[in-house]
Amino acid sequence: MLSTRVIACLDVHNGRTVKGINFVNLQDAGDPVEQAKLYSDLGADEICFLDISATNDKRKTIYEVISKTADSCFVPLTVGGGVNDIKDFRNLLNCGADKVSINSSAVKNPDLIKQAADKFGNQCVVLAIDAENNDKMNSGYEITTHGGRNKTGIDALLWAQKGVNLGAGEILLTSMSADGTKKGYNLKLTKIISENVSVPVIASGGAGSPKDMVEVVIKSGASAVLAASIFHFGIYSIKSVKDEMEKNGILVRKCQD
Amino acid sequence: MNLVIIDYGSGNLRSVENAFKTSINNNNLNFKVYVSNNLNLIKDADYIVLPGVGAYADCKKGLLKIEGLIDTLVEKVIVNCIPFLGICVGMQLMAEQGFEKEKTAGLEWIDGNIEKINYLSKDSLGRNLKIPHMGWNNLNIYNKKHPVLENILNDEQFYFVHSYYLNTLKKDQILADTYYSHKIPAIVGQKNYLGVQFHPEKSSKSGHKLITNWLKWKP
Repeated sequence: MLSTRVIACLDVHNGRTVKGINFVNLQDAGDPVEQAKLYSDLGADEICFLDISATNDKRKTIYEVISKTADSCFVPLTVGGGVNDIKDFRNLLNCGADKVSINSSAVKNPDLIKQAADKFGNQCVVLAIDAENNDKMNSGYEITTHGGRNKTGIDALLWAQKGVNLGAGEILLTSMSADGTKKGYNLKLTKIISENVSVPVIASGGAGSPKDMVEVVIKSGASAVLAASIFHFGIYSIKSVKDEMEKNGILVRKCQD
Repeated sequence: MNLVIIDYGSGNLRSVENAFKTSINNNNLNFKVYVSNNLNLIKDADYIVLPGVGAYADCKKGLLKIEGLIDTLVEKVIVNCIPFLGICVGMQLMAEQGFEKEKTAGLEWIDGNIEKINYLSKDSLGRNLKIPHMGWNNLNIYNKKHPVLENILNDEQFYFVHSYYLNTLKKDQILADTYYSHKIPAIVGQKNYLGVQFHPEKSSKSGHKLITNWLKWKP
């Protein structure tokens, strides 16, 4: 039977892993190449790199980071951040990324989802959605872009469904209000998106303990759980997360020795 | 030994190359690895890997685009009987026909067609099953004595990502299946050629085990 995936996410800034709270106050959290290898050896089912470098110049360092990681890390690797066009997709895939996630650029140009899916396959296109509470929206959530700085007036559920129709093979769903708080995932948001799209939904933002992972899978139906801070700072290991999930009846891939 | 990973414009070639090279180095195997569509190189190959990601029809077009490639593959795999491994869409191309996007003829090395996974059901936690079938899943191995499978354990998992599967009545071609909504052939083939629906190159230690077994295989 299919295991529920535990994904370790590395926010990479100018070639270093960082983590902030609600996307600000960045703290250095290590070398992404070493961390990716370590997490994959310790049982992470996938690795996700989010490049949050400030400038295009610095952004090129991500290619080197991905190439080095792909050489030594044999689990799927998703890379996102600053992807604007098909050329960026191709460059990242050539470096060894398996999937590419797009966010702001897809909102600006939804056709990019279709172009990429046609060219590289749906499995390669991850639509990253940063959502925020907004009662004026039918679903109760609005999508934001540029790391939460820009509001769009677009309903999160309608956008997710549109993205899937255009060819996105997976949705990486981040709750902006929960991100970095370690107070648990946004269960309501995850549930409404998860139950209403046909593709897998990765819950992101807010993981503070293995119990949070269990909760978002059981109560909200997430296909996968993603976390950053709790792994980087050694608060919890991948294994402790999987043990807790397994104890609660969620199938997971065993961490190998 | 020469291992050629076929480059036909599809697939995560770098990941496949890395994984095979790592298995070769870790086990001190004597292989030269080429990622190529050069027919002369393919003619000299001792082992061939056909990767593939993306849509079936596009992958088939990619094969056809390289003049003489399919004939060379048939000569090497069907006539000369060298070890062959198809990965994901590379495995699906071994079937009779694909039905993704449009009806497309396959290589017809194995019986059956590539059809959409039926997913109108829920999992044990009550979650809707999603498409693609994406993530780590177990194998149910039918032929544990097969040299490529003999040390693979039942609780080992492999990384799958696909929306279509091989629907076949010829069960003796299925070496292992997995379960997602229904049984899905995971390893298929006969004689000297095998295809895997999952991605061994992304399946961590279990994947390396399978790749190493295949590299040592002398069918």
